[in-house]
Amino acid sequence: MSAQAEVALANGRITFRPARVAGVVSIALGVLAFWVALPPRTTRSELVPVVLGLLGIAAGLFSWRKGETRLGWTAAMIALLGMLGGVLAAQAAVENLKVVITWSAVLAATLRFATPLIFASIGGLFSERSGVVNIGLEGMMLMGAFFAVLGGDKTDSWVLGLLIGMASGAALALVHAFFSIQLRSDQIVSGTAINFLALGITGYLYIDTYGQEGTGDLPEVPNVNLDWLSRIPPEGLGSFLEKSIGHLNLMVWLAFLTVVLAWVVMFRTTIGLRIRSVGEHPRAADTVGISVYATRYAAVTLSGALAALGGVYLSLGFVHSFTENMTAGRGFIALAALIFGKWRPFGALGAAMLFGFASAIAPRLQNVESWATYGTLFQALPYLLTLIAVAGVIGRSIPPAAIGRPYIKQ
Amino acid sequence: MAEQQGPVLELRGITKRFPGVLANDHVDFDLRRAEVHALLGENGAGKSTLMNVLYGLYHPDEGEILINGKAVRMSSPREAIDSGIGMVHQHFMLIPVMTVAENVVLAAEPRKAGVFLDYDAAIRRVRDLAATFKFAIDPDARVENITVGQQQRVEILKALYRGADILILDEPTAVLTPQEADELFGILKTLQREGMSIIFISHKLREVLEIADRITVLRRGEKVETVPREGATQDSLARLMVGREVLLRVEKTQASPADPLLVIEKLSVLDDRELEAVKDVSIEVRAGEIVGVAGVDGNGQSELIDALSGLRKVASGSVRVGDKDVTTETAHKHYDAGLGHIPEDRHVRGLVLDFSLAENLALHDFEKEPYSRLGWLRPGRMIAAARRLLKEFDVRGGGPKTRAAALSGGNQQKVVIAREVARDPRVLIAAQPTRGLDVGAIEFVHRRLVEERDEGRAVLLISLELDEVLSLSDRILVIYEGRIVAEYGPEVSEQELGIAMTGGLVPEAAAS
Amino acid sequence: MSEQTPPQQPPEEQDLDEPSIEADPEAQQSLAARWDLYQRTGGVITPVLTAVFAFFVGGLVVLITTGKNPLSTYRAIFDGTGLNWFFPWVSGQEREFAAEDLQQTLLLTTTLILVGIAVAFAFRCGLFNIGGQGQYIAGMIAGVQVGVLMPDLAHVPHVVLAAGAGAVAGAVWGGIAGILKATVGAHEVISTIMLNWIALWIGSYLVGFNGPLQDPKQVFVPVTEQVSQGAKLNVWWGDPKLQGLHIGFFFAIAALVVFWIVLNRTTLGYQVRAVGFNPEAARYGGISVGRNYFLAMAISGAFAGLAGSVDVLGWLFRVDLTSVQVSSQIAFIGIAVALLGRNTPLGIFFSALLFGALINGTSTRNLDPSVFQPELASNLTLIIQGLVVLFVGADLLILYLWRARTKLRRKVRPEPVAER
Repeated sequence: MSAQAEVALANGRITFRPARVAGVVSIALGVLAFWVALPPRTTRSELVPVVLGLLGIAAGLFSWRKGETRLGWTAAMIALLGMLGGVLAAQAAVENLKVVITWSAVLAATLRFATPLIFASIGGLFSERSGVVNIGLEGMMLMGAFFAVLGGDKTDSWVLGLLIGMASGAALALVHAFFSIQLRSDQIVSGTAINFLALGITGYLYIDTYGQEGTGDLPEVPNVNLDWLSRIPPEGLGSFLEKSIGHLNLMVWLAFLTVVLAWVVMFRTTIGLRIRSVGEHPRAADTVGISVYATRYAAVTLSGALAALGGVYLSLGFVHSFTENMTAGRGFIALAALIFGKWRPFGALGAAMLFGFASAIAPRLQNVESWATYGTLFQALPYLLTLIAVAGVIGRSIPPAAIGRPYIKQ
Repeated sequence: MAEQQGPVLELRGITKRFPGVLANDHVDFDLRRAEVHALLGENGAGKSTLMNVLYGLYHPDEGEILINGKAVRMSSPREAIDSGIGMVHQHFMLIPVMTVAENVVLAAEPRKAGVFLDYDAAIRRVRDLAATFKFAIDPDARVENITVGQQQRVEILKALYRGADILILDEPTAVLTPQEADELFGILKTLQREGMSIIFISHKLREVLEIADRITVLRRGEKVETVPREGATQDSLARLMVGREVLLRVEKTQASPADPLLVIEKLSVLDDRELEAVKDVSIEVRAGEIVGVAGVDGNGQSELIDALSGLRKVASGSVRVGDKDVTTETAHKHYDAGLGHIPEDRHVRGLVLDFSLAENLALHDFEKEPYSRLGWLRPGRMIAAARRLLKEFDVRGGGPKTRAAALSGGNQQKVVIAREVARDPRVLIAAQPTRGLDVGAIEFVHRRLVEERDEGRAVLLISLELDEVLSLSDRILVIYEGRIVAEYGPEVSEQELGIAMTGGLVPEAAAS
Repeated sequence: MSEQTPPQQPPEEQDLDEPSIEADPEAQQSLAARWDLYQRTGGVITPVLTAVFAFFVGGLVVLITTGKNPLSTYRAIFDGTGLNWFFPWVSGQEREFAAEDLQQTLLLTTTLILVGIAVAFAFRCGLFNIGGQGQYIAGMIAGVQVGVLMPDLAHVPHVVLAAGAGAVAGAVWGGIAGILKATVGAHEVISTIMLNWIALWIGSYLVGFNGPLQDPKQVFVPVTEQVSQGAKLNVWWGDPKLQGLHIGFFFAIAALVVFWIVLNRTTLGYQVRAVGFNPEAARYGGISVGRNYFLAMAISGAFAGLAGSVDVLGWLFRVDLTSVQVSSQIAFIGIAVALLGRNTPLGIFFSALLFGALINGTSTRNLDPSVFQPELASNLTLIIQGLVVLFVGADLLILYLWRARTKLRRKVRPEPVAER
């Protein structure tokens, strides 16, 4: 080995690694294989996606063989999925595809599906950065979803509904905090219990309050109408913007604001510094006089309130009603997004958008006429993508050092 | 420099009980202004407990704390800090992923607009403070990227930043090379001149005699005596500390090395971050000799041990145990080839604490006769074998069915050694074999290692304790930044070793 | 003259890190004794108290929200469980009804024992298998498929094959999570949850409208064909036409025995437990941690898959959309069963019985709506289940209970303060 290369190695400098490049190329080829068959390209030859996909798989396997186990594996899976999608799309009728896949609508839907994930994963961010695993995000979302409906219905105000929803999530989070901080429960077990409790409480109260009739008329969180977007030149862009982000729900924008705020708080304020110190090395924080328990309580409670906002959006902002277990695993996807985003606000945002995209595209694919036989199978797509992402990245991202470990005060 | 004025700090009759243990039994202690007062005692004598009481981490069951003559109640570190006490813990209280400045100002941060961290101001203040005491430190560096010696200075800065005038140092030299320790003593002298009062906790006699003005000796939770440095000797202190005569040197005969049993050739190993942690290392250990590897923590020792025992992939080079090449084999195959491995950390690796002693003793061989047959365990035979081993190695505090966690550290280590030695290995790797043990247990382990050598095993000792390496080894290798940079006979001086351990001998080419 | 000071520090914190202990081997001995006491008291009393407490809170919920008497509600639920069959004074018609109810309860217990073992086995390897639902669905579908095909097969081989197919399918589904954990370190909680949803949608597709497994004779109903007669499990208690208790119950009991033997009497179990307690020590000992993660998840999945196929062969006989999407949630209760049963065979049996009774007692069929609404009651079950998991997981509760007990004892019989 030459002396220079060795120095580079010792300093940890990033050097050219063929395996890594191959992995990235593989993912790109997989995406491309799907994309060429969709509007506006709509390639009709199945050969094109097959060739692109096979190349992608080959590149992924190469990357795997050369030592990039995770990246290579993930890339090969994505290339395979892209190829299958491309082949299917190439078989579908062009007209039908154009109706089903309108990119402005897909973007709007992506944002809608990403919003609850964003809220919940930012919630998870606070809890996990303080050292408490929050697998109860799902339950906290569900609490928010139901109590926002209940509160909004009783007060006839979406604002109060939203606040009540947040409070309910925070209250449930407080239970999680008490058990995992004070009683030193296993945090994953406690979080699981939280999810059961939320399922039971919301289901019980829903039936007790609304019975079989459903929730009826509810106050709704308003949309933000930005009609002026359509006047932005050139015309194509303007109408695209107007159609995609011109009529989004207020809470979608709120979600983006939350991400920015979370970043500022976490990395630019003393509060964030203290939260992170507690999550990394609680005893060090304790020895300089930071109350580990108080910090964790606050972070977990805030986490619950934010996760609940995700639920509030689902019920009051999106579907305008409540159904039992309506969060359908989104809390867990949010958790995966947080890990995928390496416990960083914008990373989590990116991951949430990716999973949101999968959720947005899944029902559309189901509507493509020639695919109707596969029907519900597409519903599994977001979960499958999450699984692949989890497998591909999680081992690489380093969690806060003290995560999951209860702190024992002397 | 004792003045007529009263002590700045006084502990009266401090008693601290843990379930089943009296950690501090009516201990009195006082500290005068601008003195270095050493607290001496072996592991488990109650030194750390006493200081944790003072720092507000433990609450005493009895006794009182007086600062400048006034009784105070320390119910949290916050109050200790407010009373002007700073503590440098044995295990640093630093957050590795944060910068030096962030670590120093944590919980007393300079702010902008009330809530925002004024990082520039933090950098400035830390730089100024470091300059005052002539610490060479980059406030913007991440703690995980600086040396252990520098990390310790960050800890001292933390105390100074908070305006401490009483500084507690808990076993500060445990992680330092002799040179770094000298530098630390220089710093302490400076602080002392500035009027700082220092409590220096240690179990090393020599350094206590070097730095302290007065020495208080603790034994089994009780204060034995406070003596001035003048007139105290290593022997007199050792007697006070242990309560009997101790052998400071291990007795052993001249080694008579025979065939090489562990042969390492041009070994390179990557660490978790995929950087080369062990570089081109070649070692040969012969039957009937102890080869010691000295070095500062984090210079590739852990990766070397892991690679030798099949727990980490070898990047290049080869490892031979006996006459078998085990370079690419699993840990299991290493054991079968005749390797015994006393691991660095008995809690993390050496023992499954929730297993019984019998189960722990079968850890390498549970798939073989007599412990099992055709996949079926035979608990009766496990217990019988365990009973024999526990007796032979004088393990006290439990029988074959006792959980390993219930044993004291010394007895746990005996269980580990019993398991490794009983398999009659040809090569024995001993990594930090006496960490955290009391004098009696240390003597046992040392004696046993020499015995194993005399049985004709090849022993590779890897330790951070220079004394241990010096007193046990027949040959001494020094590891620095993953390379073996020097080899010495057993008569080498500590000074010389220290220079090699800090890279003083590294040739130009490799250093650049 | 010194005051009596009770120990403030819980011993568990001291046994490893506090070096002072090493100085005094005799004190250590007593500490060890304390530890054992902990284990003993914690082993039986806490789960029982936990269950009692959870039911108490559940009763409060009933009282507050509906104003109904919790005791009469629980009484009504209890009557639906059939557990009164065990009372010797119940006779005649009432006894027959009780027998039918008890058969239902034990049917559910069978499932819960198996999914409980699935969770417990993974727990012993340090893994949290929340994927029981997906593995159960995989088992159901494999079981029904083998049961429908090969109608000419003889009874015993057909049952073995069909039930076995379920176990294998569950093992595959659980094994995926195990492989991901072993090779790339993906956390099993997230991957098993995702696998649950993937199984749910694949299952819905397979048995749903136009799905490949849908019964071609009933195009308007999303359901598979019935398993052939020869694949059905024999009913040994009650009327086969009224869902009597099938021999699958004994499969579950046998599974408990197998569970215990594998863990405690085989080298595989030794490895699994070593990895569960301390993966790093196991690795050092020469055990392949990844291989055990995979095996533990696969074996765990096999038990959950077996639960699915036993249900199909025992009383469902066909798989429809509801059983994929709703009934499969029964697998989640396996978590509560395993935790409440402290991962021990006997504990799992009793907690499975408890939850089986609870579910059956709150079912629409057994609970009189005039006493309490069954839909509410099933959610009440969820709440109780959540509380059980919450409290059983709280280590410190054991500690508090233990301390309260010692304090109580001290008041009765003051101990002399030990002085050195």
